[in-house]
Amino acid sequence: MSITINIWINEERYEKLQKAGLANMAEEALAGLKVIKVPCTEEQKDKVLKVFPTAKYDSATTKSIELLPREVKDKIFDLVVEKQSIDVMDDFLKNY
Amino acid sequence: MTYIGHGGKEIVERVLEPEKAAEAIKGLTPVPIRGQIAREIIDIAYGFFTPLEGFMTRADVEGVCNEMKLANGVLWPIPIVFDISTEEINEKGIKEGDKLLLTYQDKPMAILEVEEIFTYDKQEMAQKVYGTTEDKHPGVARTYNYKDKFIGGKITLVNPPKINPPFDEFFFTPKQLRQKFAEKGWQRIVAHQTRNVPHTGHEWLMKGAWLSTHGELPVEKTLTGVLVNAIIGEKRKGDYIDEAIVLCHDVLRKAGYFREDVHLTSITLWDMRYAGPKEAVFHAILRSNLGLTHHMFGRDHAGVGTYYDPYDAHRIFDQIPEGALNIKPIRVLAWWYCPICGEVTYSGLCGHKEHSQNFSGTLIRSIIQDGVKPPRLIFRPEVFDLIMECAEKYGFGSAFVTDKYLKERNPVFSLPDMKY
Repeated sequence: MSITINIWINEERYEKLQKAGLANMAEEALAGLKVIKVPCTEEQKDKVLKVFPTAKYDSATTKSIELLPREVKDKIFDLVVEKQSIDVMDDFLKNY
Repeated sequence: MTYIGHGGKEIVERVLEPEKAAEAIKGLTPVPIRGQIAREIIDIAYGFFTPLEGFMTRADVEGVCNEMKLANGVLWPIPIVFDISTEEINEKGIKEGDKLLLTYQDKPMAILEVEEIFTYDKQEMAQKVYGTTEDKHPGVARTYNYKDKFIGGKITLVNPPKINPPFDEFFFTPKQLRQKFAEKGWQRIVAHQTRNVPHTGHEWLMKGAWLSTHGELPVEKTLTGVLVNAIIGEKRKGDYIDEAIVLCHDVLRKAGYFREDVHLTSITLWDMRYAGPKEAVFHAILRSNLGLTHHMFGRDHAGVGTYYDPYDAHRIFDQIPEGALNIKPIRVLAWWYCPICGEVTYSGLCGHKEHSQNFSGTLIRSIIQDGVKPPRLIFRPEVFDLIMECAEKYGFGSAFVTDKYLKERNPVFSLPDMKY
């Protein structure tokens, strides 16, 4: 199971995805709630946890990095839309 | 009215009347205490910790660590100790037989009768209570942070706390709660222990536990209730803010997800030890003192990391001798969302495991953090809206504990000014 950052999709984010023709990128996670799972390598995960001390890695259940500030998720999401790819963590972490 | 608590002992409130209190504390040596000790004094003084009348002596701690029993043989799994440094003992000339005035928020709070001053190997205490000596375990870290000596002895509250809003309407002493249960006509009451804002997985845990508890009783009258008992204690960054936990549980009833006559929200002051199975037994004792008849235990109750098997907190009750505990455990598996069933359903009944979508606390927190309103099957809209309201009103913009919340939040309770 790979490490991910879960970007939850509200209406605003879904609209952006639709406009970019990326609506299929979102998968259903919980009772219809959609999510984009941005993959992270072990090194990227360590850097994210270091740069954003509020974040936590849920190693026990979801194998995802959680509790990232909303603005950070927005930036990652915008990169996904811009690059039309979920492999954006290298680009994202360049600025940190 | 007399109420019998854990160990068959009467619930006694160790609280002095104001005139007697002012007189009783004159000339006593003041000793400032921290929040954990203040909360435990309230618990002892009002009978939440019956049969404890004070902080444990060495014989009690030894019994608890080695046999999960107090010196008098009553079942008890977690040491309740008053720690103090040798320097403070020497500086203040504290000796056995003294009475100390414990102060909190710079105000008198309680009298501690110094019955015994003792030391205890903290590593041994950690190993026996938590099953590990690793300081990554928060209960172990708390143990290691104790000062080098302990004072055992009775306490008496001299300045009852004022519980501040919004918690004031949810704080009931064991006697008050039992009176409330009697007024409601509840014969059976099941506890839901919580430190979380409720998603529908929690809601269904409570509903399932209510059904199990009600069992064979007649259905024409409401004879069974659910008591949500939120643990309010030391907070860590990233926890839900206390106000959101309590108010969001209460809104489940106000919004009709529970009927008015079957549900009650309450708080207990306690700093979680994360002792897994041992803490489950402690919670059972605590709730038996509150007058509850049943206690629901879910997956990984009071656990942390991977220190305990998710169902250790169920199995420990198999080792408890009959009659040692006056409350029945209700053991439950998780509820999950099943897209085939199209509902939140019990994992012990649903045959679509490969399709199941689990409620992960972390995942739900992540959704809230993103400000995304989850489907009502997962999170009641009234709960979500109230979380956001609490974040603004109490959490400085966050539903989760931040540094600012830790520094500037309104205290859960305050001690009134006291003349003496």
